[in-house]
Amino acid sequence: MKMRKLWAVVLCVVMVLATFAACTSEKKSDDGGSSDSDSKSDGGGKYALIMSHMTNAFVTTVADAAKAEAEKEGVELNVFDGKQDAATQISQIESCIAQGYAGIVVEPVSVDGIIPAIKEANEAKIPVITVVQQISDQSLVAAYVGGDEIKAGELEMKEALATIGGKGNIAILYGPMGSDAQLIRKEGYDNILKENPDVKVVFEQTANWTSDEALKVVENWLQTGTEINAIVSQNDGMAVGAMKAVEDAKKKGEIGIFGIDATPDGVSAIKDGRMDGTVSQGAANMGTIGIETIIKVAKGEKVDPLIYTEAEWVNSENIADYE
Amino acid sequence: MGQTNALSNVTLKSVIKNFGILFVFFALVIVLSIISPNHAFAQPYNIINILKQTAINGILATGMLFVIVSGGIDLSIGSIVGVTAVLSAMLAHTGGYPLIVAIVIPILVGAVFGLVNGALVSYGGIPPFIVTLGSMTVLRGLALIISGGSPITGVSMQFEKISSSFVFGIPSLAIYFALVVLICAIILQKTVFGRNVFAIGGNEISARVSGVNVNFIRLLVYGIMGLLAGFCGVLMASRTTTGAPLAGSGYEMDAIAAAVIGGVSMTGGVGKWYGVVIGALLIAVIGNGLDILGVASSYQQVIKGLIIIVAVFLDLRGKRNKK
Repeated sequence: MKMRKLWAVVLCVVMVLATFAACTSEKKSDDGGSSDSDSKSDGGGKYALIMSHMTNAFVTTVADAAKAEAEKEGVELNVFDGKQDAATQISQIESCIAQGYAGIVVEPVSVDGIIPAIKEANEAKIPVITVVQQISDQSLVAAYVGGDEIKAGELEMKEALATIGGKGNIAILYGPMGSDAQLIRKEGYDNILKENPDVKVVFEQTANWTSDEALKVVENWLQTGTEINAIVSQNDGMAVGAMKAVEDAKKKGEIGIFGIDATPDGVSAIKDGRMDGTVSQGAANMGTIGIETIIKVAKGEKVDPLIYTEAEWVNSENIADYE
Repeated sequence: MGQTNALSNVTLKSVIKNFGILFVFFALVIVLSIISPNHAFAQPYNIINILKQTAINGILATGMLFVIVSGGIDLSIGSIVGVTAVLSAMLAHTGGYPLIVAIVIPILVGAVFGLVNGALVSYGGIPPFIVTLGSMTVLRGLALIISGGSPITGVSMQFEKISSSFVFGIPSLAIYFALVVLICAIILQKTVFGRNVFAIGGNEISARVSGVNVNFIRLLVYGIMGLLAGFCGVLMASRTTTGAPLAGSGYEMDAIAAAVIGGVSMTGGVGKWYGVVIGALLIAVIGNGLDILGVASSYQQVIKGLIIIVAVFLDLRGKRNKK
């Protein structure tokens, strides 16, 4: 009896999965009944937003703003989750081409990985723009909408150094080593550090974007007795972990804690006076302007190939604007 | 009198059997104490630090001891930590539910996930690797769904104290770890259930023939694992003061590593609680020591991997020589 029930459950799951699979393949086999030329003229039709993943506050904010803008403009927008995998993004772009989407907004998983699919879209004359992250050959797409990661890194380091008076010891928490964001934000850091010879980087380590890893790493740093005046973190999640380690060591107020992204965890920490500052790259603006731009491109209007959203310093003084 | 002697002999013998790992552990501790700047590694506060950093992995590894001894494996525990951390942070909001709710509900939910794993393995006849590989993905997705992709912040002060308080100078996290180990050691060594766990892992068929309810034992084993993972979710949310949907990613590997380093046989039927404790401590000591020495992340990965292999190699050789 029990066995039969279980099998029923298993079968149900399989059926649901099969339905999903069928839907996906249907999309793929439906190779563009509607010609894209007529949907191009009025800017209406279906648009795709293909995100690199949907697993943190930043991407969720971008996607939500894009959805809101699409609704305002009265166009249909489908959001796809690239699952941090270039192959997934490629097949998503391919199925959008097959379905004759009016335009594709993509946050590339990697700078090179999805270029073949973008070339296919170009051949099919479906406009593509990148958001949040550029690809290695931006001439393949109509525009980039997003932050200037180097500037964001520069702004964070500049403000962090200003709060410690331009000299002292700092420690840096990186994202996954070798990832694009880690490298580019670091370039921004290095630009500012070059101008500040009195600042010494006493520790640098990855915490892979996560609070719990950052917590452990900073706990260990604090053991060494080496003086640290500021901890500069490549995202807010790691800054929150650093903050907890500093608080547990009863050093709150002695060490400045800085992040980037202005995600809810960072914003609420600044509001509570536990973190000292973060950089807002206008995640919501990236979504909004991204949709605005792709519609313009689809209509055949000219757009600026590099549209930077403003990087802003967020601290206790202007935190109220970011809640 | 004679009985006591026999007992201590047995313990001594088994400790000697673990000589390989103990040797590596103490060698590492001594080397790190000498070469760390200002001998920071051996400072009392750093010992506390290591205990705190061992606790979560140690509790998971203790649960993994049951699973691996029973001849199974559980890859889903990192995801259970993620779901329960999010759930716990949601329930622990300032001015929300009583504290006990934010502790008990996530633990129960973790236990339920564990029992579902166990039911699919025992009564569904699906190999544990496959079941838990599937539930690992499902539950990570669930963590992202219930959190909306963003970390949950704003937990109450009392909730934070669960992991940050001290009793007679000992961090609460270490006390939880010790209690879990104590209870689990008693269950494994002194109860019929514990003996049956070893029996089904050592030789399932003979256990079945001698009247052990193999399926039921297995169900409970995964239930215990899930319960402990749920508890770790609570501790994680309390320690980082956020419920991050990606919390616990990869923790299953650390728990398995701790068990294996501690001499638990992947083929089942063999494993000692103190081996797991040493395994978990060893992993924490490696991470802590290398951070204090300021070793770059990429080198840390190489060193950690090598130490795991060397530790197990020495352990195996030690045992072979005994025979």
